[in-house]
Formats: sequence, structure tokens, C-alpha cells
Amino acid sequence: MYQIRFLTVAPQEKGSVKEEPISEIQTRRMWQFDWALNKLDNSVRKTGRIPKALLLKIFHEICKTGCPGSNQTLLLLRSCGALLPEVLSPERTELAHMIWDKMKELGAVYDTSHYNALLKVYLQNEHKFSPMEFLARMEEANVQPNRVTYQRLIAAYCNEGDIEGASKILGFMKNKDLPITEAVFSSLVKGHARSGDMKSAENILSVMRMAGVEPGPDTYLSLLNVYAEKGDAGSIKKTLEEVEKTEGYLMDRILMQVIFSLAKAGYPQYIEDIKERIRFERELIPDAMNLCLTLVTHGFEDISFHILKSFNHLSRDNTDQGSFFLQHCVNRDMPMNKLKQFCNELKEAKMHSAPLPFILRCALEANKPALAIDVMKMMKEEGLPLRPHYSWPLLVGFQKEKNLKGIFEVLKVMHELGVELDTETYTDYVFKNFATSETARTQLKKNDCLFESVGLSVAEIRYEAANGRLNNVLSLLSSASTPPIDIRQFRNSLILGFKSSNDVHLWSKITELLYKDERYCLTPPGPTEAVGYFLYHLIDSMSDSEVQAKEERLRQYFHQLKKMNIVIPTTHYSGICRLLDSSQVPELIKDARLLSLKSLSTDNIPESAKSDVSALEKKLEKRKAENQPITDVLKQLIHALCEEENMQKALEVKAKYEPDMVVGGYAALINLCCRHDNVEEAMNLKEKVFPKNSPVALDTGKYVALVEVLGKHGRLEDAINILTEMREKDVPISGKTVASFFRILNAAAMRGEVETVNRLHETIVNLGLAETAVLHSPLITVHLEKDDMPAALEALVNCYKKYGKILQLHNIYCRLIEKGDADLLQKVSDFISREYGDMMALYDLFFAFLQTGKYREARKVIETPGLRAHSGRLQWFAKKCISSNQMETLEHLVELTQNLFECDRDEMYYCLLQLCEKNGDWGKAEAVWTKIQEENVVPREKTLTLLADILEKNGQVVPFEVPKVRYEDTRSLSASNVEERKIRLLCKKNNAKEAYNIFLKMQGKNEFHYRSYGTLIKALLTQNCLEEAMEVKHAAETHIKGFTLNSAASSLLIISQVRRDYLKDAMAVLKGMLDSGLLPTRPAVIALTQTLAEKGDLKNLQALKNMLEDITKSIGVSASLIANAIALAHTKNNDLDAAVEYLEPLLISGAQNPDQAVRNISYLLRKVSEEGLEPALEKFGVMAERLASQFGIYRPVTDLFLQYVSADRVDDARSLIQRCGALVEEKSTLVSFMARSASRPGQAKKIETLLELIPEHLDMEIAYCYLVRCYELDGDVASVKAVYEKTKAENIQLHELSLKSLAAFLKKVGEPVPFTEPPETFRFYVEKWRKRRLEAS
Amino acid sequence: MAAASAVRAVGRRSRRLFDIFVADIPWTVSSKELKEYFSQFGSVQRCQLPFDKDTGFHRRYCWIKFSTPQDVQNVFQKDSHILEGAKV
Repeated sequence: MYQIRFLTVAPQEKGSVKEEPISEIQTRRMWQFDWALNKLDNSVRKTGRIPKALLLKIFHEICKTGCPGSNQTLLLLRSCGALLPEVLSPERTELAHMIWDKMKELGAVYDTSHYNALLKVYLQNEHKFSPMEFLARMEEANVQPNRVTYQRLIAAYCNEGDIEGASKILGFMKNKDLPITEAVFSSLVKGHARSGDMKSAENILSVMRMAGVEPGPDTYLSLLNVYAEKGDAGSIKKTLEEVEKTEGYLMDRILMQVIFSLAKAGYPQYIEDIKERIRFERELIPDAMNLCLTLVTHGFEDISFHILKSFNHLSRDNTDQGSFFLQHCVNRDMPMNKLKQFCNELKEAKMHSAPLPFILRCALEANKPALAIDVMKMMKEEGLPLRPHYSWPLLVGFQKEKNLKGIFEVLKVMHELGVELDTETYTDYVFKNFATSETARTQLKKNDCLFESVGLSVAEIRYEAANGRLNNVLSLLSSASTPPIDIRQFRNSLILGFKSSNDVHLWSKITELLYKDERYCLTPPGPTEAVGYFLYHLIDSMSDSEVQAKEERLRQYFHQLKKMNIVIPTTHYSGICRLLDSSQVPELIKDARLLSLKSLSTDNIPESAKSDVSALEKKLEKRKAENQPITDVLKQLIHALCEEENMQKALEVKAKYEPDMVVGGYAALINLCCRHDNVEEAMNLKEKVFPKNSPVALDTGKYVALVEVLGKHGRLEDAINILTEMREKDVPISGKTVASFFRILNAAAMRGEVETVNRLHETIVNLGLAETAVLHSPLITVHLEKDDMPAALEALVNCYKKYGKILQLHNIYCRLIEKGDADLLQKVSDFISREYGDMMALYDLFFAFLQTGKYREARKVIETPGLRAHSGRLQWFAKKCISSNQMETLEHLVELTQNLFECDRDEMYYCLLQLCEKNGDWGKAEAVWTKIQEENVVPREKTLTLLADILEKNGQVVPFEVPKVRYEDTRSLSASNVEERKIRLLCKKNNAKEAYNIFLKMQGKNEFHYRSYGTLIKALLTQNCLEEAMEVKHAAETHIKGFTLNSAASSLLIISQVRRDYLKDAMAVLKGMLDSGLLPTRPAVIALTQTLAEKGDLKNLQALKNMLEDITKSIGVSASLIANAIALAHTKNNDLDAAVEYLEPLLISGAQNPDQAVRNISYLLRKVSEEGLEPALEKFGVMAERLASQFGIYRPVTDLFLQYVSADRVDDARSLIQRCGALVEEKSTLVSFMARSASRPGQAKKIETLLELIPEHLDMEIAYCYLVRCYELDGDVASVKAVYEKTKAENIQLHELSLKSLAAFLKKVGEPVPFTEPPETFRFYVEKWRKRRLEAS
Repeated sequence: MAAASAVRAVGRRSRRLFDIFVADIPWTVSSKELKEYFSQFGSVQRCQLPFDKDTGFHRRYCWIKFSTPQDVQNVFQKDSHILEGAKV
């Protein structure tokens, strides 16, 4: 951990001197190195070896980054020796050379350490080379040899028995005054021995002692090895006993080396004796494994196996031993009979439960088909089961080689082995090699490996279907030779095929076959069910846009199916209807209805007759006479009459056919009566058909109509009852409903009915039907209407106290001023000053004086010393003037604010011009132009453009140069101008569809202004009309050269495209935006990123990342987002390793690099958890814990913990906290988690869980504040009270804000408040709370 | 539209509730064997055992979909599951 800190700090310091990017690259390399080091280190520490594949992977990885660091190179080089026991020595040396050269090519600079590492590798690999040449090469490269270099060079000479050479190097060492160490003496032992002079070799030990160096393990090993090489078992024994006597120990590791030397020298007979001295304990397993591997590598598999069996006593239940051995044997191409023998023995010794399947796997993994086939034959002999999927790796291998012969061979062998290959084998691994299943069939036949089976037939159908060749599917299905197959076997492929084909005829033909040919409906429910299910899944699998695009084809399809007399069960039919509805093609539902089982029995009345009252009447009478059911016709008649607004007649019909009336008819009637103010009849019908206690509810609109008419007729109690019923029956409340409520309340207010307003309002709010500020204002309006100012004022204050809203203030002020009621005026002013400060009170007064034309008083107010411009308030009033066309007032506003401190004059004049534009008043506009100059204001381009526009439109000369950005289209007063304004106006009113229609009508005749296109596109996108918007954009691009959308519209476009899955287009739009210097909005970027991640689209994510690199900060997107998204994409691609390898280093560097830091992984965790990707969650969990334990980075593990809490996995959370207790230190993360939880209803459980798990680490005041808030949001009175009781019992001080909101909540639900409500305003406590929270986190 | 698709997603998620996740599956076992094994706990609707198309081996984990939550309970009632000698 410290090392990394050091490594990252250093380059940053350098970076500040040089240019910035360098430090970036360097830190990057640091963490990469770190990651590689960790991986290799782990491998060495755990197993004492490195798998060759891992080494190569890291090597390629480092190559890819391009600039290898000195450490990395060293790391790779050092790994090419004894750490690769599975590789033969010459190959290891070759690998080392390859790395050496490649790294040099990439610009690595070698120093002494690298040369020494290479020497070590040479020694370990017993590589023959000339030490002098090596030295010369070092000198050439201007690298100084050091003591280690010389020691190793001596060892190199000694390996060859070249004492003379060794002496030469020794001379160098002496010249340089370098100490002679044990390593040198050990080498000399070997050197003398290998030169044939055993005497001198043995003598070295006493020479050492004389030189003051005690012989250690190295020396003894050297001596033992040379005895072993000579096969001198007696001396070995003597030495061992001697050492044991003098030193009292001998390492088992050394003994194992001696075993290897004996094996190599050809004296296996002495091994047993050495082996007996080794204590085979658990700790020794890695070393013994390496010995076994090395022995196998060198061809001594029997000796190796012998040693392996020594571990028999260490076996544990259910764990297989010797797998590594078998695997290595397979890798080294051991013959089958040898493998067989090992397998049998391992099985007999009960060391391995299934050795044969294991070596089969090894053979498959190593892509050794011949061996694999032999093993399978063996398995068959032994009576072990053989399964189709055993052949898959072989087939994949041949497929990659494009080796058809191999594939045929496998098929034949599997057949001979009696394995019937299944559908998956054919679809996924055989047919892929052929263009069609037909060519596959011919080829298989030609090569004698066509074995008919159900699996094969299913595969053929699937393959053809999935590739969209429906005609082939049809012929396969109708072929007499096709065996019975359940439709479910190929349903999904068939759906794919249907989707990629547009041939409705084939669709129908195939469906008919499935329906009528009993071969394909084997399961009991029969064809109706099966085909219904198929249709449902077909529609379900199509995206909204697909369904929309294929609407017409689907319609034809349904009709053709109908002609074929195909019906489907009602349940599936209604499922399909739901899907069609959600795909926004409700018209198709009608067509789908043709297929419903039920629809066959009922008659279908032609649509045209629907609204024809007289025809319906006749029909009704006829039916009645024929004694046929009349309910449907009756309902239609009632509806038709309602449409004609013929209440009288409708009621008559109702009375006449009362017994046959259905609910729908009554509902329509009620609505009709409401519209016609017939409150009596409406209520009668309602009470009769929809009594309060009946479960059937009317729809929202009809309830509202009832409330309205009841209110109008003063039947207040009834209205309140209806409202209560709405609540009880959970009638959905939309924005439109709220607007209706307001209309009803306001109407009552206008009538001056105080009680009606108050009671209805109270009911609506208390029942929680709706709560928006605007709903409260009739409470005040009603008093204004009655001109009861004291009451209005009281209502104002009450409203503020109850709902925290100030409403109708301006109107109250104006009225008071008009009436000249100074007392009350003072009272209001005081109230506002107290709650909002003097400034707000002054502005209100100012606007009121302006409004009432008392300009002198207004001036006095606005000239109050110290008053500053408040652009929001000024804008509000200016807009109000514009919309109510009060030119005089607006002019006064502009004039009076002339000397107001910090007032944006240009903005004020712009408002004035807007009103001029609205009125087409060019004279006034010109006067404004003069005023602007008079006041010496520099107008913005926007203002000038507007002014020019007004003058031009009214046929005036523009007295100044129009800024360049102006529209190219300057034709004034053309027809298009009128239409264009209409379009803009409609857009403003959110009526994009209407605007688009005008646009369509105008298209081709005239071109529009630049701005109008943008406005229209934006409005269309807001209403999710992507196609239309694109149409307009296209038109704009053809008419205006270089037309680009502005940032907001482009961002909306991106969001719409993402919603429709047009990701490629969205990427293109984003790129275009960035290229033209526009910034996308945060939601657009987030939507795009998350969707790309969902799709696992790494390529585009990477591209996105590059695009956003410099601007993430400016758009407020955190660096974590993209990192999380990329990791998620890897996960989606089932490549968890890549996800971790990508994310982990980022998190490590993120913890030290505050800019652009990737810290949290909560999004990633939430996603994988929500989608049940358990292995992913587990993997990231392990990573998070590793980061915590090894690097002290706690944020990821905190995120994991909180994810567990969110997913209500309390036990997981608990055990995590036990392992990584320090995560509780991430206080701010915990606090924001709670804050987030308290922002939406239904999340109290999360905070409860936190309180349960880590009570001692939470700030109780904060936690309980949020908990209370949660329950308040949930409207859960009981829990709110329980929490309050708990805090009291546990003596937890609740924050005043909590108490305040608690009091408000309790009052609202009509509960007593068991404490004194804090006296200050909400706002006051919110501020206080904010400060408190900052402190806590 | 957004609401409708959300409902579909929720529907899918709630259907998932009868899913169990099985890890550490030995390579010798295919979905057929898994289905057979888990059928003793209830009716197995579907067994999803992803294979790596690049190697021909499966990924050693799978999802089993049961018809009812009770089946899932049955599976969890057994402490450990041993398939072909390997604990899963």
C-alpha cells in the first residue's frame, strides 16, 4: 500500500514540472504494473510456480500498453526459469530471449538487475552460454556488472565444470574487492565435481570454513547434488546423517531437489531411500507438486507418480488428488495406456473419484482430439456415461480450423460410441459450418455420418428458422419424414425467423401447420394453447418499434389465421392485447380479437352502425322481438345517444330496457347527466348502480364530473362523499384530475362559497388525493371574490403555516392598495418580511404599486437604499405583463428599475421588445431602440435580432447591422411567417402534434426559420414523437445548410433514440454535438451510457468514454458512471474477469487521484443484484473486499454492504461487516445512502436494516430523522409513532426538523402531537439540518 | 408507454422469483442431468446452463426455473446438493 502511494506521488510531482499528460501515463503504468505484480506474486506465493499461459498473458498485456517499465520487464524475465516447472528448459530460455528482445524493441532500458535476472534464468535452465561473451555484452551496453553478476557467471562456469573460467571471474571479484560468499563456494563444489575432481569438491567445505564462511543449505545441496549425479548413494547417506547431526535439520525441499538429481542422473533405485526421509505434510504440497511436475516434464512420470502417492494420507473427503498430475501428463502427450494405468491406480487408492472424465476434460481443453476420443472409448468400456456435450469442445476446435473432416469423424465416433447427439450439438456446433441445413444434410450423408434422430430434425428446423428461411421451415415441417416434435422445441428460433421475415403468407402457412398437424402439438392442452402461446411470445419478443413497423403485416397475419379457422385461448388473447396496447398499436387489438375463442360466439356488428342511432334502435327492437340477447346493442345505443348529447332519449331508452342495462351504459349515462346539469338523475343512477360499498368503481373523469355538478348545486355532503369514495376505491389520480379539482375549487371560489371551497379543499387534501400549491389558492381567492380582506389575509397566513406556501399574495396586495387599507397592508408586509426577508416584501409591494398604477409609490419602494436586483422576481413580473399585455406597466417597470443595483438592463429591454413583437407595435419597438441608446446599454445579439425581426415584419428599415447568426430566410410578411408563428405558439403550448400537422401542410411550400425547426423538434421529442422529429430535422437539414440542433434538443433526441434502442444513431448524434462544440445534458449521457452497458456494448462504451473524457466535469457526470458501465458491459458479456481486471486498477488509482476518480461501484452492484447475476455480484464482492483489505480502499465494500442492505440481504450484509468492519468509516456514503432512501416512499426498511446492523456507527439523530421521513412519505402513521416512541425510550434526541415535520405529519392525519412543535419555520430548520449533516459526514 | 414497459419488466422480475442459481456444476453434467436431478424437488420449467461457444464447455453455473415458490423452498431445505460427486 505504501509502495503504491509512493509510486503515484512521485510522477505527479514530476508532472507538474513537465506537461500534464505524462503523469497520467505514468500513473497508469504504475497500477498496471501493480496488477501484474500482484497476479504473478500470488501465483508464486501460493503454488511456487507460474502457469505459462498466465506469463504469456501478462507479457502480451504489457506489450499492448506499449511502454514497458523497468520493473515489468524484470518481473517477466525472472519468471522464465524454475518458476515454470511445466515447461522444458530450452523452451524456457527461448521464452526469456523472446521477452528480452521484444521489450527492448518496445523501448525498455536494461540495467544490471535485468542482466542478472537473465543470468539466473540461464542457470536455472542449465542453458549453455559463454560467460565472457555475456560480460562483453554488458560492457557494450555500458552496464556495470556487480557481485551478483560475478557469482552467477562463476556458477555458469561451474555448471560446465570449467574451474579455470570460474577462477578468472573470481579474479575479477578479488580485484574489485568483492566479498566471496557461500554462493560462490557452492558453485565451486559443483564445478570441481563436474570437472571430475570429487576430492577438491569435498574439500571446498573446509576451505570455506577457513575463509570464515560456514557451509549452509546451499552448499550441502550442491554437494548432495554432485553425489547424486555420480550415483553415490553411500556418500549421500553419510552427508545427510552428518548434516542432521551437526545442523540438526535438513530441509525437505533440499531432499526433493536431490530426488530430481538422482532421477536425472539415472539412479531411480536410490530415490526411495531419500523419499522416506521426507515428511509429507500439508505445507509441503506446493513443493511436492512442483517436483512432480518437473519430473513429468523431464519424462520421469513413474517416479513422479510414486511421489504423488505419498500424499495419499493427506486426502480429504470429496476432494480429488492428483488432478494436476493427470493434467500435466495429458499436456505432455503421455500415451493412453500410461494414462489408463495412472487413472486406475488413483482410483484404486481412492485418491481421485473420476480420473477418466477428468483426463477427458484435459484432453478437450488442450484440444487433443485423438486422445479425447480414446478416453471416451475407454470410458465406454468402463461403463461410464458418455454425453453429447462431451463432443462440443472437439467440434468447436474443428470448426475454428474449418476442418470438416474432423467434424465428420467426431460425429461418426460419437455414433459408434452409442451417443445420440442432441439438437444443441447440431444447431450450435455442426450446422454452423454449413450455409444451410440442407447442405449440411447432404454433406453428412456423403460422409456416412448422417444419423437420423429427433435431435437432428429439431436442429434442422431451428437452424432454418433462426436464419430466416421460413420457406425451408415450411417444407421441413410438412415433410412426411419429419418425426413428431413438440413446438416448444423450436419456438424461440421460429420467433426469430418470423421477425426477420416479412412474408405474411409463410407466417400463416407455418402457423396453420403447427395448428393442424398433430405431430407438433404433443402436449395435452392441444393446438389452441400451443399456438396461442406461440403468438403471445412472438409479440412479446418484438420491441415496440418492431410491432409498430410490422403493424400492417401483423394485421394481415391475424386475418389469414382467422380464415384458417385458427383460434387461441382467451388468456393468451388478452395477453396479446396488453402487449399491443403497450406497444401503442391499439388498432391491432381489434384484429387480434378475431382469434379469440370467445369472439367466435358473439356476433360482430359492423363498425359503421355504431353511431347510427336509428339503426341501432331498430336492431334493438328486432332482437327483443326475436328474444335474442340485447345487452350489447343496448350499450351501443346508449353510447350513441350520449354522443349525440340526447339525454332525454337516453334516459327513456334506459327506463325501457332497464333489465338489460350493463355497467358501461350506466357510466356513460351518469356522465351525460352531469354534463347536462341533471344532478338528481346522475346521483340516482350512481347510487343505484355504483353504490358506495360496491367494489365497482367509475372512472376518474366521471367521479370528477359528479363532484363538479354536486358542488355547483350546493350538495356539499354528497360531493365530499364522492371524494371519499374515490379515495377508498383507489381511483387513479392524474395531473388532469388535479387540474379538474382546481377548476372545481376555483369555480366555487368565484361563486364566493367559502364553505364549499374550504370543505372540498380540506377533503381533497386530507384524503391525499392531490397536493399541489395551486390547489390551495382558491382558499384565498374566495375571500378576494367576496372582498373580505381580513379573511383573505388570514387564509394566506394559514396556507403558509399549513402547507408552507404563499399564494395569491400579489392579488391581495393589489386589492389592499386599491382599497387603501394601510393597516392590513402593513400587516401583510410584516408577515412577508418575517418569513422571507425585507427584500421580498419590498418587491411584492413594488409590483403591487406598479400593477395598480401607483407609479410614484412604486418608485419610492424601488429606490429603497440597499435594494438589489432580483432577476427572478423581475422576470416573473415582466412575463406577467407580457402575457396579460400590460404595456404601460411593463414600460414603467423598465423605467423604474433603471437605477436598480445590478439590474440586467438588456434583459429588461428584451422583455419590452417581446411585448412589442406580440402586438406588432414597431413604433414602440423603435422607441425602445432609442431608449437603449439613450441609456447607453449594449444590447445582446438576441435583443438586436428580435428588434430587427419586429421592424422587418412591419416593413420598416432596420437601422443597424443585423448580427450574422440571423436566419438566412429574410422574406418578410410571407404566408409562412403566420404559419410559423402558429407552430411556435403550439409548441409552446405543448401541442406538438398539431404543430407538426401544420408543418406537414406547409412543407414544400415554404421554408421556416432556423429557430422554428429547433423549437418544433424539441417539442416533438418532449412528447416522444421521434419519427416526426427526425422528419423535421431532415427537412431542416435539406433547407438550411449546416443546420444543427441546439444542445437541449440534441440531448432530447439522444434520450428518445436510447428509449427506442437506436443506440447507433444516438452515438452519432452525440458525436455530432461534441464535434460542433455543444455539451450534451447529463440525463442524455446517463441514459446512453446505461443502455449501452445493459447491452454489453463495449465498443461503443469505449468510444463514448473517449468522447466524454474532457467534459465529464462540465456536464456533471461522475467518472464512476462510465467505469461502472464498462464493468457492467463486461459482466453482460459474461466476462467477469475482464470486468474486475478493468475496474480494480481504476478503483485503486481513483483512491489516490482525486480528479476524475472512480470511487463507487454502487450502480454496478445494484444492476447485477437486481438482475440476479449472482456470480458477478460475488466476484465484485471479492474484489471489493480485496481492495479493502489490501489497499485500505473502503468505498467499494461499503457500496456492496449498502447493496446488500437495499436488497434486504441482511445476513450477507452482516457477515460482510464482520469481515470488513472498517467500512463503517465511510460516513458520508452512509449518510447519503440514508438521504437517498428517505427521498422516495417505501424505503424505510433500508434504514431499519442499517440501524439493526451498525447502530453504533450511525449518527442516531440523522438516522432517525431520515427514518421518520421515510415513514412519513409512506404515510405510515403507526410506524411514525412507533419510531417516535422508540427515540423517546432510547433517549435519542430527534432533530428539530424531524420534530417539525413530524408535527406537521401528525396534524395532517389528525393525530395529536405529543410534544411541543418547534416554533421556527421549516426553512429555518432545513438550514440547520443541512449544516448538521455536513458536520456528520 | 414507459409505465407499460415497466410493468412488463416487473412481471419478468417477479417471474424470476422461482429461479434458483446453481454454481460449481461439474463439467460432465449437462442441462439434461440438471433437470433430472432437480425434478425431485418440483417441476422444473426451464434450465439455463450457458455454454461458452468458443470452447464448448459450460460456464459451471446455471439457473433453474421452477413452477412454484414451494419447489424452490424444497431445494433449499436440503443442506447440500451433490451432483456426480461434486458439491453444487
